[in-house]
Amino acid sequence: MSHNAHVYVIDDDPSMRDSLDFLLGAAGFDVSLFDGATSFLKAHTDLGFGCVLSDVRMPGMDGMDLLRQLKAKASALPVIIMTGHGDIPLAVEAMKLGAFDFVEKPFEDERLIGAINTALQQGGDKTKGDALTRDIAARVASLSLRERQVLDGLLAGLSNKQIARDHGISPRTIEVYRANVMTKMQARSLSELIRLAVKANIQAD
Amino acid sequence: MTEVDGNSARFGGLFLQCGVDESGIGIWDLDLSTGDLFWSDATRRLFDVPLHEAVSLELFLSKLAPDDRERTRTALQRTIEGGSKFDFQYCIGEQSGGSHWVRARGGLVRNADGAPARVCGVVLDIDDQKQLEAALRARESHLHSILETIPDAMIVIDEHGIMQRFSSAAERLFGLPESEAIGLNVNTLMPEPDRGRHDGYLQRYKSSGERHIIGIGRIVTGKRRDGSTFPMHLSVGEMNAGGERYFTGFVRDLTEHQKTQAKLQELQSELFHVSRLSAMGEMASALAHELSQPLAAISNYMKGSRRLLESNGTPDIPRVEMALDRAAEQALRAGQIIRRLRDFVSRRESEKRVESLAKLVEEAGALGLSGAREQNVMLRFQLDPDCDRVLVDRVQIQQVLVNLFRNALEAMADSPRRELVAASTHASDDMIEISVMDTGHGFSDTTAGNLFQTFFTTKETGMGVGLSISRSIVEAHGGRMWAETNESGGATFRLTLPAAPDEGLPDVA
Repeated sequence: MSHNAHVYVIDDDPSMRDSLDFLLGAAGFDVSLFDGATSFLKAHTDLGFGCVLSDVRMPGMDGMDLLRQLKAKASALPVIIMTGHGDIPLAVEAMKLGAFDFVEKPFEDERLIGAINTALQQGGDKTKGDALTRDIAARVASLSLRERQVLDGLLAGLSNKQIARDHGISPRTIEVYRANVMTKMQARSLSELIRLAVKANIQAD
Repeated sequence: MTEVDGNSARFGGLFLQCGVDESGIGIWDLDLSTGDLFWSDATRRLFDVPLHEAVSLELFLSKLAPDDRERTRTALQRTIEGGSKFDFQYCIGEQSGGSHWVRARGGLVRNADGAPARVCGVVLDIDDQKQLEAALRARESHLHSILETIPDAMIVIDEHGIMQRFSSAAERLFGLPESEAIGLNVNTLMPEPDRGRHDGYLQRYKSSGERHIIGIGRIVTGKRRDGSTFPMHLSVGEMNAGGERYFTGFVRDLTEHQKTQAKLQELQSELFHVSRLSAMGEMASALAHELSQPLAAISNYMKGSRRLLESNGTPDIPRVEMALDRAAEQALRAGQIIRRLRDFVSRRESEKRVESLAKLVEEAGALGLSGAREQNVMLRFQLDPDCDRVLVDRVQIQQVLVNLFRNALEAMADSPRRELVAASTHASDDMIEISVMDTGHGFSDTTAGNLFQTFFTTKETGMGVGLSISRSIVEAHGGRMWAETNESGGATFRLTLPAAPDEGLPDVA
């Protein structure tokens, strides 16, 4: 646990901000709260290194716009995006726009704090990230053609049924391929699979 | 003068002849021994021959139209030889323009030894009668051509239901030639139960004078000669002719009309369904986002509290208490969001009207069961006609039925036996129960308890709102909705709806 490390929370919902302040404070982080992407960007240049934790859906500038802005400013701050449950296409897009990671609301505290810690550690250390990316790329390369098709479908946010229809195979068979993909990619959940795949620069389309 | 004397011998005297002349009836007499022809003054006037002009058979024939001459000669010959009556109608003066009709009648007179002596008789002016006939014929053919031209079939029956006339449109529509139709009972053209009851309908009308169809018109089912049936609009008129009562029926084939209507309705409801589905989809997605906020906040407060309690040293109890309060607040907020979902469903002012349950089920079936026949699903509607009238919001109840039908189809996708039955029955005096039974995979005991809960779903792509919304709709109607496992292991969903009171409804019988 990295004490006194900074987390910048951006969420338009006051109760979310307050509860994240409470949780992350209890976990030993220094927390700064912002009620929107605009107010964060205004303060951004004066802020020290830390992890940005931003909601994706916000009135005015949303999480996606924030990612684009930070990319344009060549910001060194790692960003974790909070998405709604099962919003895979949005998560994939966020990762492509340079988000370090994403978490689905509601989330496990361990998962969130783990992601923040990883972001804070790797945020400055690009080499470690590269090594991981190469490792993931190797896992992707081990997938069969069918497994790769299933992975692409999942990245596009499709359900098993939809993938089955697209490729003319039964949903049961897709389930088998999907399990293989999870094993080979060493992913414990769909969201982890998405993170890994996006890091390996897999294009969903 | 000798002529007059001779004639007086034949016709009973000069006075009689004068009287006959005045009446406009002409007299003619052909002496077969001499070949002389006698015409009275009236006869001359009728044939346009001046009084002083000598008449002969040749003059008579010259007055006739060319076609009539030969026929008259032949007929005269037959009268002379065989004694048959002579009766001819002539149109005189056709060439000169001022034509008129006369009728010549006559018979053979024999002499004492029985040999033909003369042919004599009368000539009548039948111009008025002919003109009347012609006018009548013109009207008749005019009417006939109208009846043959209009696309509606026309059938005339007498008061016993026996067909008297059968138009060519009727021949085409029912596939029955006029020659066979006439004389048959009109109930031949009806399927049961009307077929067996029609004589009774006529009898009832005769005794009560109560009109159920005459002058009103309604949609009934017709039966073609090959046994196939079709929807038709029937309007009936009544007429009295010669002391007899007749009924004229005009029949319009509604097959195409109904197909168009059904198609239109299908498109409309499909459009409605799609827009409602997308509205529900949007709502569900917005709702999921909204719900995730308080849930995430609750989780954050709880996990943060746990961290504080686990930390070394004295736990910051006031902070933990504050977090627990806020977590509770967020739980209530989540509850309010759920309540809003229910409101969304019932917020729209429901428009309750008296509707036909059969129609609702059929329409919902047309929408929710499209493609069912291709999937080899056997459909059966067991709707009790005695509990057809319900007081409901058509759109909402159709939504419920469509939802149930779709669920049933999905549940049977992998079943070897695919049967879907929609039935209705009386639940109580003022409630009607509708059931939808399928032979699908059914549901487990654990599922049963959650079936109607919002966001509970066993489907991969389901939202878990269908049944909960359905139940809200049914409850808003004052009914109940529940599910059972049936004998086949499939699901039976039942719901009750308020029956419409009977009075004040149009008599459709």
